[in-house]
Amino acid sequence: MSARSDELIGQATYAVGRALTAGAADAVASASWGRSLDFAWREGKLEKVQENTSRSLGIAVYVDGRYSTHGTNDLDPARLTAFIREAVALTRALEPDPFRKIPDPALYEGRSDVDLDLIDPSLVTLSREERLAICARIEERARAHEDVISATSGIADGHGISARVSSNGFSGSRERTSLWYGAEVTMREGETKRPEAYRWVGGLHRDGLPSPDEVGDEALRRCVTRIGAGKVPSVRTTMVIDREAAAGFIGRIFGAMSARAIQQKRSFLAGKKGERIASDVLTLRDDPFVVRGMGSRHYDGEGIAAKRRTIVEGGILQSYYVDTYYGRKLEWEPTSGSASNILFQHGEEGRDELLTAADSGIYVESWLGGNANPTTGDFSFGVRGRLIEGGSLGAPVSEMNVTGNYLDILQHLAAVGNDPVPWSAFRAPTLAFEDVQFSGT
Amino acid sequence: MDSTPDSAADLYAWFGVDDTVLAKVLAAALARGAEYADLYFEHAAGHSVTLEDGIISRASSSVDRGVGIRAVVGDQTGYAYSEDLDVASMVEAARTAASIAQGGAAVAPVGFQTGRHADLYSIPRAWESIGIVEKLPLLQRVEARTRALDPAVEKVSVSWGDADDRVLVVTSEGTVWADRRPMARIAVSVTAVKDSEVQSGSANLAGRHGMDWFDEARLDGMCKDAVERTMILFEARRPPAGEMPVVLAAGPSGILLHEAVGHGMEADFNRKGTSIYSTLLGQKVAPDFVTVVDSAIHPGERGALNVDDEGSPTERTVLVENGVMASYLHDRISAKHYGVAPTGSGRRESFRHLPMPRMRCTYMENGPHTREEIIASVRHGIVAETFTNGQVQIGAGDFTFFIKNGWLIEDGKVTAPIKDTNIIGNGPEALRDVTMVADDMKLDTGGWTCGKEGQRVPVSQGMPTVLVSRLTVGGESR
Repeated sequence: MSARSDELIGQATYAVGRALTAGAADAVASASWGRSLDFAWREGKLEKVQENTSRSLGIAVYVDGRYSTHGTNDLDPARLTAFIREAVALTRALEPDPFRKIPDPALYEGRSDVDLDLIDPSLVTLSREERLAICARIEERARAHEDVISATSGIADGHGISARVSSNGFSGSRERTSLWYGAEVTMREGETKRPEAYRWVGGLHRDGLPSPDEVGDEALRRCVTRIGAGKVPSVRTTMVIDREAAAGFIGRIFGAMSARAIQQKRSFLAGKKGERIASDVLTLRDDPFVVRGMGSRHYDGEGIAAKRRTIVEGGILQSYYVDTYYGRKLEWEPTSGSASNILFQHGEEGRDELLTAADSGIYVESWLGGNANPTTGDFSFGVRGRLIEGGSLGAPVSEMNVTGNYLDILQHLAAVGNDPVPWSAFRAPTLAFEDVQFSGT
Repeated sequence: MDSTPDSAADLYAWFGVDDTVLAKVLAAALARGAEYADLYFEHAAGHSVTLEDGIISRASSSVDRGVGIRAVVGDQTGYAYSEDLDVASMVEAARTAASIAQGGAAVAPVGFQTGRHADLYSIPRAWESIGIVEKLPLLQRVEARTRALDPAVEKVSVSWGDADDRVLVVTSEGTVWADRRPMARIAVSVTAVKDSEVQSGSANLAGRHGMDWFDEARLDGMCKDAVERTMILFEARRPPAGEMPVVLAAGPSGILLHEAVGHGMEADFNRKGTSIYSTLLGQKVAPDFVTVVDSAIHPGERGALNVDDEGSPTERTVLVENGVMASYLHDRISAKHYGVAPTGSGRRESFRHLPMPRMRCTYMENGPHTREEIIASVRHGIVAETFTNGQVQIGAGDFTFFIKNGWLIEDGKVTAPIKDTNIIGNGPEALRDVTMVADDMKLDTGGWTCGKEGQRVPVSQGMPTVLVSRLTVGGESR
């Protein structure tokens, strides 16, 4: 454990002590520190450099059966003490809530100490020159086409530590680094259109990321394929979703799996545990112990010891996301109120085989706006992508919508790819759905 | 607390600075030859309260403060911030920002004069001075009213949030600007059950207002909206899929302007040539009766600003005047690039963020038609009434907005309700296809927030009833 995490544990402990002194029955405090450095590069020169260092303290107080949360970045001891005293006083003005209690300390027990490898020490020493060289390389490759109007490359890294201490025995800290780099490219198309595309890659470690050359090439390739995009007539057809776009679609169902949504009667998945919600090719696991995983953790936002869970098995809903508060209201055992890493059980085939199997349809590369109704499962999203023609990618598609209901479309999930996206906690592979409504001309 | 707007002297005391300190920090920011530098001191205090399942179940408070320091050379920017307001910490952040430039020291100001600005959102009592006990009855009233409106209502939650933001902008031109910005928002969410069917909806009220603005009539109107929007969903269906005329109802439909026009007119995109509007300034893009405005000067609006976040006076900027592209939205950097005056559009989420051109309150001026004429002119189409969100690609020009509630139009008459439908179109094409504009413009009272490059700022929007002759409706056709 680093000196800085010891210091943060000390701050959180101090804050909990102040809250108890001010009259709180219980308190939980989190102290955080973070640093980030962000470069943007355009037309062969540095366009922006931004350096951030921040710290903050958050505290939840339980006072006479009442509850509130507070945050500040003013850590001067005298002002912090006054802030916490006011926080406790404010809480007394609320109404008692019989369901609001500090988490049962039994939930803290059994915390794994497996090494998740979330820190890349080489990022701390990544020099300004090296960062600029990466930006220059990406931009050079990304603008290697005569119709490119603008390419902006960038590199950003971060390092964060947070510590959490509760009055009923929890103490923990976590630390992680991250690095992202990529580019946005804009090209000329006809009189006024300027289609754009981007490519960003990232991870907790630098090791394993695609090279700057590959990233610049991919940003340009994506932009080139956008030239001439347009809409086709409205159609019901197969939808194949790019792995980088899949989280934006499937991730929506997780909101309806939360105990809060269910207790507040705003979930289309209420009452569906143990029932079929998707075709049998969908199996989803929540795995907090993925080495270098972006969602990896030893404990969740309430201090609950992290565990592997199966969320959907062969299309059957197995588990909800239950925090302690809404769990108490529903009289359910808490699991965790938030997702860690989401892993799909892979199919046998990759993207190209899924396209071949589809033969015709629309390949969705990204979403443009739209929304989903968590109460009913109705969704409608704008899409960008490509036509699938004869099992291969064809003309670019834009200005179309896809519309349906999750309870229906999940049953039409025909295939899951074997190519999970690496730079996300939501490790979705390519997905294929049959009989999907697209709106166009 | 009293109702006098905070003076620069008040905020000097609040942040513990004086002219000597400001000059020293600016000198550090200019030490390597930056052409311009500024300091953005901010102290943001916020409170929120939630009522759920019949009780005031949680509250929160927050304090966030610091100074953002920027150094600019041409279109290059160095930025750093400090959460500590002692001189050594501020000078260190200024040195980091200064590193964008590579030359010798530029001259820093030694004295400062105070900029005078409008007074668009003074409130009788600052939010900071209003205790939580005074706010609870508002939430309780909203809950009771909402429940009483329909027996099918099963769940009601009410959330309240207020903010009191102190801002001091100090520029290397030797000017300081002091501003105190209130904000408040109340929202109600409703879930109703009929037989075994469940539907939910919501409504909210927001602005740079004080306690007095949240009066019974407004609150009751919000409750009624939330319940009506929810109950109508039991009858609502999806519209047919494909291209059709879309009537935008007066008020929140300004979301179309925000996405289809406003973002593309932000000058940073145009300076880089990445907006579909990059070459259209001075050109006819819409019929004569289309005038689109982005204004900071409407009192109490979420988008109201006395002075922008880089110390430029604010104004009413006409984006499209009688169908002709008139002006971009400029911050200091783009204004210098184009050789024009800033439009007071330089905004940022907080002291942690760089300013950039942003919208404030975006709306269309009244036109020559009436709502009745517009509806009667449509054979098969829809009315878009309430919205949740939108998005745009500024280069390709494609934009979307999501309709929460609306209506079908059949043979010139409003018929069945519709729900949960995404609309997609292309900015310049949609402007050209604005075929009718009514005379009933109103600004929406809901709380809109605009996101750009990871920064969120409060905005507002408005619209008269407008007909766009062709947009793609995300419907279903079996």
